[in-house]
Amino acid sequence: MIYSDGGLGVGGDNFHYIFNYTRSGIESMVINGKEWLYREPKPIFWRATTDNDRGNGFSQKSVQWYGADMFASADKVDIKINDQLIEFPSAPLNNKYSNHEYADKVEVIYHFTTLTTPTTDVEISYTVMPDGDIAVHVHYTGNDQLPDLPAFGVRFVMPTLAAGFQYDGLSGETYPDRMAGGIPGEYQVDGLPVTNYMVPQDCGVHMATKSLTVTRNTTKDNSDKSSTPFKIKFVNDGQPFAFSCLPYTSEELENATHQEELPLPRRTVVSILGAVRGVGGIDSWGRDVEEQYHIPAGKDIDFGFRITKS
Amino acid sequence: MEPDIKWLDDPETFRVGMLPAHSDHRFYRSPDEIRNDDSSFVQSLNGQWQFAFAKDPMHRIQHFYDADFDASSFDEIKVPEHIEFAGYDKFHYINTMYPWEGKIYRRPAYALDQNDKGEGMFSEAPDNPVGQYIKKFELNPAFKDKKVRVCFDGVEKAMYVWLNGHFLGYAEDSFTPSEFDLTPYLQEGENTLAVEVFKLSTAAFLEDQDMFRFFGIFRDVSLIAQPEAHIEDLSIKPTLSDDLKDGTLNVETKMTVNKSGAVAKVTVSDADGNQLYNDTQPVTDSITVKDAPFKGVHLYSNHDPYLYQLTIEIDDKDGNVLEIVPYKFGFRKIEINQDKVLTYNGKRLVINGVNRHEWDCDSGRVVSVDDMEADIRTFKANNINAVRTCHYPDHKLWYHLCDINGIYVMAENNLESHGTWQKLGAVEPSYNVPGSVPQWKAAVVDRARNNYEMLKNHASIIFWSLGNESYAGDDIQAMQEFYKRVDPTRLVHYEGVVQNRKYEDVISDFESRMYASPDEIKDYLDNHPKKPFILCEYMHDMGNSLGGMKSYIDLIDKYPMYSGGFIWDFIDQAIRVNDEVTGQKVLRYGGDFDDRMSDYEFSGDGLMFADRTEKPAMQEVKYYYGQHK
Repeated sequence: MIYSDGGLGVGGDNFHYIFNYTRSGIESMVINGKEWLYREPKPIFWRATTDNDRGNGFSQKSVQWYGADMFASADKVDIKINDQLIEFPSAPLNNKYSNHEYADKVEVIYHFTTLTTPTTDVEISYTVMPDGDIAVHVHYTGNDQLPDLPAFGVRFVMPTLAAGFQYDGLSGETYPDRMAGGIPGEYQVDGLPVTNYMVPQDCGVHMATKSLTVTRNTTKDNSDKSSTPFKIKFVNDGQPFAFSCLPYTSEELENATHQEELPLPRRTVVSILGAVRGVGGIDSWGRDVEEQYHIPAGKDIDFGFRITKS
Repeated sequence: MEPDIKWLDDPETFRVGMLPAHSDHRFYRSPDEIRNDDSSFVQSLNGQWQFAFAKDPMHRIQHFYDADFDASSFDEIKVPEHIEFAGYDKFHYINTMYPWEGKIYRRPAYALDQNDKGEGMFSEAPDNPVGQYIKKFELNPAFKDKKVRVCFDGVEKAMYVWLNGHFLGYAEDSFTPSEFDLTPYLQEGENTLAVEVFKLSTAAFLEDQDMFRFFGIFRDVSLIAQPEAHIEDLSIKPTLSDDLKDGTLNVETKMTVNKSGAVAKVTVSDADGNQLYNDTQPVTDSITVKDAPFKGVHLYSNHDPYLYQLTIEIDDKDGNVLEIVPYKFGFRKIEINQDKVLTYNGKRLVINGVNRHEWDCDSGRVVSVDDMEADIRTFKANNINAVRTCHYPDHKLWYHLCDINGIYVMAENNLESHGTWQKLGAVEPSYNVPGSVPQWKAAVVDRARNNYEMLKNHASIIFWSLGNESYAGDDIQAMQEFYKRVDPTRLVHYEGVVQNRKYEDVISDFESRMYASPDEIKDYLDNHPKKPFILCEYMHDMGNSLGGMKSYIDLIDKYPMYSGGFIWDFIDQAIRVNDEVTGQKVLRYGGDFDDRMSDYEFSGDGLMFADRTEKPAMQEVKYYYGQHK
């Protein structure tokens, strides 16, 4: 454990993580010498408007979540060492530590207040195990004064474009109201394909996933000449999760009217989702997604997953 | 007869000098020609034609069709091709509104005022571009001394035709063949065919389909020589006994005969080539098969598209073959039973269908054989058992492919007048055509006839559809009356039945709706339903969509009178161009060509992307359509 002034370092065999105190999340996730983060993971509240969302006015109704997604920041960080909450180790309190601090379990909890009216609370906590595995736990506190959510989860932005990903889940792109045709199995996807919808929109979601392994073979480290592939794995923790693995954030997808307007793909955006709104399909000019496939804002959402060396 | 540009304005003038519509049978001189599907009676005129474009009728070249016209200043254009794809006119996509929305004030002739003839509405319109085509050809020497016609398989939207300076005729209905007899004006050596195509005419009010608005010669053009004794029209009527075990075959033909003593050999074989029927008869007014019995027939269906082979060979009195006409037909029975359930060969039929516009992102509605064959493979791979040809008759080959692959077809007329009755989402039929406007009736009945006569022998076709989203009135009733008169073996469909209940009993055998929610369907079926229910369009697959299909599929087991439906739709309509910034091939849609008013991305509702790759939703279709196949 490194009790620094700006953040908490947590390291072990072949891993080293840094939890930033002011940037709302884990800033560095180095596994086997390779950095996995470009920017800190943040909660997901938005998906790029689908044609059906546009047709039924969902984006207007839920527009608060767009800003909440785009500008989310944590306002409080808690740290637990071996399950015990410690006094926040800010300077000069952290002068008492040394370069020889050890723990069996470190948990860093980021508290977000949503940028909505009214607000509600979201927590993302990272629990680091001695072997470097991270258990991520995410909690959304329901508030029925808020509009339906477009999506809920955690977004990881990785520094370079992945070579591909592998997952144990359902074939194809699936959503809660469009997953009966998905065939369970292990699937390998080369590159980071963006589904070729005429107008770029939310895409690439995979429901009911047990694990996701992302493979990269490049880094941003100017001294790293290796092109040997390296991997990270997201594993379900109890319930299966949904995910997408794309080169774009939902805001980038939202802004483009054509595929060719999307930025050149250069990063990897992994969204691990605890709640997914259906896509709907009755018509594209008014009918809402069927009720059971909404994400009502009044209900708590609680989910978790583990990040592990692959 | 002299051509008159005022025909463009007149809803009562829609075919002049055209040969009557007839069946789409092909005829050959030998079994080898049949095997290679290469008839020596056909000379293709596809290829490069001379071409001049005018932005409106006032700027068109006069007398370009004269025999001595000097066309050296003409450009070249490919046939078939849309004029827009050749770069002369702007791509324009718009859904229900008319393409002149916001630019020209138009009301259909006679619709608001029986004295309003609409004179000059199209013939003097600044938004009515003109394509002038010239094709010089030499007749295949084998055609000498034969009757020869020219056949245009598809031309949007109105055309005038001349040969060697002689006016032949005028045609509208864009999606069915237009044929003209060339015989009187053919000459030795070089002949000059001239075609003048207008983007707008009164037909534009009837062809307001949700699609890119194109014009020009967009399907094949052929010269067709006629044997001395020739089957002009073939009508095959296979019927089944009540127990569906035995079949009865009736065949009639319309003949043109210029040679006495000809003899017809009629045979019917099963799919293994075993001859089941054999008759020789002198060729008179009709070659007929009357109530020929077929014991223990093999039924035709989606899973087992079993076709029998009818062959009629006509020989002259010396035994020389004049023509051979092969046609495959099937025995099947479509009914609404006493419980108001749609049945096929005595069992309930569930339509696992899609709507299919003809589309290729590189050529628009000029579709290739490969495109059509690929679409059939996609249907078969994903449990799609039926297609609605929205909203016009397709390329002839499509129906043949549906026959041999067992795809049930709702054969729809070329009719949609959405913009005349629905405005800002409200039903507002103040100037609806065809409606009950008498001057528009003959044109739409003619469209029904063209569709029927061309396609009547196809085993795959089980429904005639009067058109799409054209409201309801006496004229559409007259279309249904036509179908009921000529074809008791198939059902008639029209969705407008729900827009004007006054015509409920006279325009559709179904309660047909589009985009009804599962609850609305239950509501109809729970309350003393009069007719079986069908969804002619549902699951609007725009962009990332097709969620919630289960709620529709669940209706099937609960309601025998629910007949399933046709997903909207099969393939995105987008045009592939080179991106001006990156140079890469990209797909563009409405509004991307400075085309206004537009409905932008609303054309992207397919299960397939415009480049014919599958959307992710297809696996869901495969799953749910596999539940009741």
